[in-house]
Amino acid sequence: MSALVFEGLGKSYGETTVVREVSLTIGEGEFVSLLGPSGCGKTTILRMVAGLVEPTRGRILLGRDDITRLPPNRRGLGLVFQSYALFPHLTVYENVAFGLRRRKVGGAELDRRVSEALAMVRLSGFGDRHPRQLSGGQQQRVAIARAIAPRPRVLLFDEPLSNLDAQLRDEMQIELKRLQRELGITTLFVTHDQGEALSMSDRVGVMARGVMQQFATPEEIYHRPATAFVASFIGKPNRLAGRVAFRAGAGGRVAVGSIELAAARIDEASGAAIEIVIRQEAIGLRPGGGAEDAVGGTIVLRSFSGARVQYVVRLADGIELVAETPSHGALAALEPGAGVALDIAPEAVLVMPVEGAAA
Amino acid sequence: MSADRDGRPGHAVTIAALAVVVFLQVPVLVVVLAAFSTTSYLTIPPQGLTLAWFGKVLGDPTYLSALRMSLILACGSTALSLILGVTAAYALFRRSVPGAEAITAVLMAPLVVPAVVVGVALLQYFSLTGLRGSFVGLLMAHVVITVPYVVRSALASLAGLDLAVEEAARVLGATGFEAFRLVTLPLITPGLVAGGLFAFITSLDNVPVTIFLISASQTTLPVLIFSSVEMGIDPGVAAVSTILIVATGIVLLLAERRFGFHRFV
Repeated sequence: MSALVFEGLGKSYGETTVVREVSLTIGEGEFVSLLGPSGCGKTTILRMVAGLVEPTRGRILLGRDDITRLPPNRRGLGLVFQSYALFPHLTVYENVAFGLRRRKVGGAELDRRVSEALAMVRLSGFGDRHPRQLSGGQQQRVAIARAIAPRPRVLLFDEPLSNLDAQLRDEMQIELKRLQRELGITTLFVTHDQGEALSMSDRVGVMARGVMQQFATPEEIYHRPATAFVASFIGKPNRLAGRVAFRAGAGGRVAVGSIELAAARIDEASGAAIEIVIRQEAIGLRPGGGAEDAVGGTIVLRSFSGARVQYVVRLADGIELVAETPSHGALAALEPGAGVALDIAPEAVLVMPVEGAAA
Repeated sequence: MSADRDGRPGHAVTIAALAVVVFLQVPVLVVVLAAFSTTSYLTIPPQGLTLAWFGKVLGDPTYLSALRMSLILACGSTALSLILGVTAAYALFRRSVPGAEAITAVLMAPLVVPAVVVGVALLQYFSLTGLRGSFVGLLMAHVVITVPYVVRSALASLAGLDLAVEEAARVLGATGFEAFRLVTLPLITPGLVAGGLFAFITSLDNVPVTIFLISASQTTLPVLIFSSVEMGIDPGVAAVSTILIVATGIVLLLAERRFGFHRFV
């Protein structure tokens, strides 16, 4: 059952194309994130769904209805803004009641549904306050309660957590996910934070320069990126220029300078120039090194960041890679100058066409 | 400028500031005091103490009809200015009009152009169109000179507004007009009160434009005061002025209490 469908959706301002022909289908109750750097067009898509920006091309379907040209007030959606956009002159109660009153809900029913929405975001008893009397996190919850109170057909989030500090952001991520599961509301969540997108979503759409790069589950996005952009945007990537040494079955070996690595999947022809992406967290380290089958190198820099330690490792030909390990155990205490062997699984060597050579 | 470590002004600055305030307010005080004098000419300090001059002007049909005319004109032009100014500022702010900056400049022009020039220009224009000496013409003239105050305060209030707030109302089911009425308008009201008060006072005490346009049968209070002074000043003029000063003071005080508009002045 599809809740929200984009058919060739696009937006241009004069000569500038912000969103290029995006087509995708979001299922009933599904949590979908649009992920990408700022200016990639993800917020424009969200605003087109809300009715705040008019599409240049394509259609938006909500269930069976074409809502492409409907004004925002007749779409029955909920939107949580980055700035919260609470009504500063109204109490928390009246903020949450606003959407219900527009739908002619009144009396005891209004009271009940406002209380219900406030209880869901754990703000019962805050009804009489004004937004300015609340903390940022509380204002965020009011914005969510206001959006869910009228029981929208789809919930839209525009970078809702980016104004919160790190700890509160983690809390809200879990809380939002729980709330969305309880309510079962189809959700479109726009963010530039890959951690947020990967941890909360059923599926993630990664965007760059107005083009949908990949629309898939978080696992697929992480382990089987479809484009060089996705591979380098997700996780903490090392990017190397190389070429295909030879192919064997689906995989083969790739060469970076004089170093050869096994890769599980290669789509390019033998000898083709490629971009190789290896995530920092996918590189295993062994002290000493020197084993026949492994790549050897020397540690040149160690950087401690709490839970993890990052090493800059210099390989043959002056190639440098960053490897990351947990910050406890013997591996966390390697000093610059130490020799190491690198374990890189063939699945972790992501082979991509050179950026710009293919869309 | 001397200032101590708390950032508070030093004594010299405080004294200088007080001196300026006193210098500016003394004429007002002189007029108020003169209104209570028993003499038939303006004198300071007042000789004796009487309310007779207040009685005289309040019983004088010329003053009363001029006062009524002034109030009708001020109320009418303020109301029209608020309607026209707020709608214009809203459209200019949302950038839904081409040449917004040029239009803003034209709307604000009466603030910069000397009032006498505006008066002469309107006299010419009204003579051509047959509006000369009519109430409608006078009302239009006052709208022209009061609308910049409303436009300015409305633009300033709108500029401080988060655009997303109105969008939030739209997504929650409000029509464009409902979103404006329920969200935007209440948020800019303090600024509009300030702009409206300025418009009202500007209309109420305008002489240079009005004097070109009034007919012999209708005059406004400030024009009447102006011509009385020409014929020889008596404490009756001071009494009328005192009534205006006190009334203005009360209105400003109430508005500040209710809306806290001082932030927009």
